[in-house]
Amino acid sequence: MEFLFESLRTALTLILALDFDVVDAVGTSLKVSIWSVILAATVGIPFGVAVAVNEFRGKRILITLINTLMALPTVVVGLVVYGFLSRQGPLGELSLLFSPAAMIIGQTVLALPIVVHYSLGAVRGADARILPTARTLGAGPLRCLIRLVLDVRFGIVAAVIAAFGRVVAEVGVAMMLGGNIRGYTRSMTTAIALETSKGEFAFGLALGIFLMAVALFINILFNVMQER
Amino acid sequence: MSALYQLKDIGRRYGTRPVLDIDSLQLQAGRLYTLTGANGSGKTTLLQILAFLQPPNSGNLIFRGLPVTWSRGVLRQLRREVTLLHQSPYLFATSVYANVTFGLRSRGIRGEKLRRAAMAALETCGLSGFEGRSARELSGGEAQRVAMARALALQPAVLLLDEPLANVDSETSSLLLQVIRSLPKAGTSVIMTTHDPRHQSDLNSITIHLENGCVVSNATSSHSGIL
Ligand SMILES: Nc1ncnc2c1ncn2[C@@H]1O[C@H](COP(=O)(O)OP(=O)(O)O)[C@@H](O)[C@H]1O
Ligand SMILES: [Mg+2]
Repeated sequence: MEFLFESLRTALTLILALDFDVVDAVGTSLKVSIWSVILAATVGIPFGVAVAVNEFRGKRILITLINTLMALPTVVVGLVVYGFLSRQGPLGELSLLFSPAAMIIGQTVLALPIVVHYSLGAVRGADARILPTARTLGAGPLRCLIRLVLDVRFGIVAAVIAAFGRVVAEVGVAMMLGGNIRGYTRSMTTAIALETSKGEFAFGLALGIFLMAVALFINILFNVMQER
Repeated sequence: MSALYQLKDIGRRYGTRPVLDIDSLQLQAGRLYTLTGANGSGKTTLLQILAFLQPPNSGNLIFRGLPVTWSRGVLRQLRREVTLLHQSPYLFATSVYANVTFGLRSRGIRGEKLRRAAMAALETCGLSGFEGRSARELSGGEAQRVAMARALALQPAVLLLDEPLANVDSETSSLLLQVIRSLPKAGTSVIMTTHDPRHQSDLNSITIHLENGCVVSNATSSHSGIL
């Protein structure tokens, strides 16, 4: 018990003193997660909307596939992307392995099915009158779609938040593709997973507290958006 | 002058069930028609077809002398002439002003012209001062008037109204009746569905009565006597 309290005290001191390693890991986590989510949203929102509003053969199968991809184990994504980025892999030339860019690629793959799933759901749950209303007022196809997306904007924002929640808290991709290099690719989760075992318990705890705060904030935001 | 609409053998089914079967019907421009019939007689379905929102399963629809082909580009042009005000209309999740300007923006209208058209439509519907309000925080009667203003702002050649007076307060009802009555003179032909026989005489309209998807009578309301 004494040990836990002592560590908690040290952890809080590290946070309050803006310890370099703590701030750096938080910064790397946020930077990588935000970029991944931006990339995933850029591709995933239009894709999800397109799947939702079009009828085509294999739509049901595609939706099932997207839902399956949502549950991909992070280490499997890490493994596959590693295969592509490693020296002998198809993208080995780019020398991206163990860099923030590699982490961003892996986390984008993780975030994409989540963004697609939730934006698809938001559009499918939209009021059926939106498109006919926009059409009868003379809007073209693009304007109709933009209006549809705007009217379900809270659901779309929730999609982005859910994706952020997943990538900021995952450890598999960040570890396998980033490599936990201090001051470069060390994120909150890789630091917690790898430094704690080296006796840096208080340091891990400080990051754990931060991560919990981020997760709590994201969950509250997600629920607010889903209820709008 | 050719008729505004000519319908020939128009049929519409849902699944295998026929809901509309009109041998022949002509609607003239500059008139006010009321479409009556029991629930499920096909009034809304007919308006959807006249609004070019839903093709019939069979038959020919001719608009201003030209057969409607239901191809994308043509539909877009036609929908700029004809606007449908849905039964329990949907207002976009934004301000009243953005709702009323939506169709005008779709037509590329901007600036002062846009503002003036929107403000005039709002005023006609007794909504001056409502432009900044959220469309989602209105009473039923106010929402119905915003939907009407949104359609009127376009000055369409044809305005189709699906039960515009159902579920509104009496004040809104009389305001809307007065607006509707003035439309043909302003160049907008009107076809509206209604349940209330009083509206037909109030509006001095030509009544089209549907029964099980068929037109059973097509006559000027007894009250007015002439076409
Ligand atoms: N989308 C739909 N799918 C299946 N049946 C429908 C659909 N829309 C309308 N119907 C049916 O078509 C018939 C005519 O409906 P409608 O045109 O709405 O009649 P009205 O407006 O006169 O009440 C009704 O029996 C209704 O149940
Ligand atoms: Mg109806």
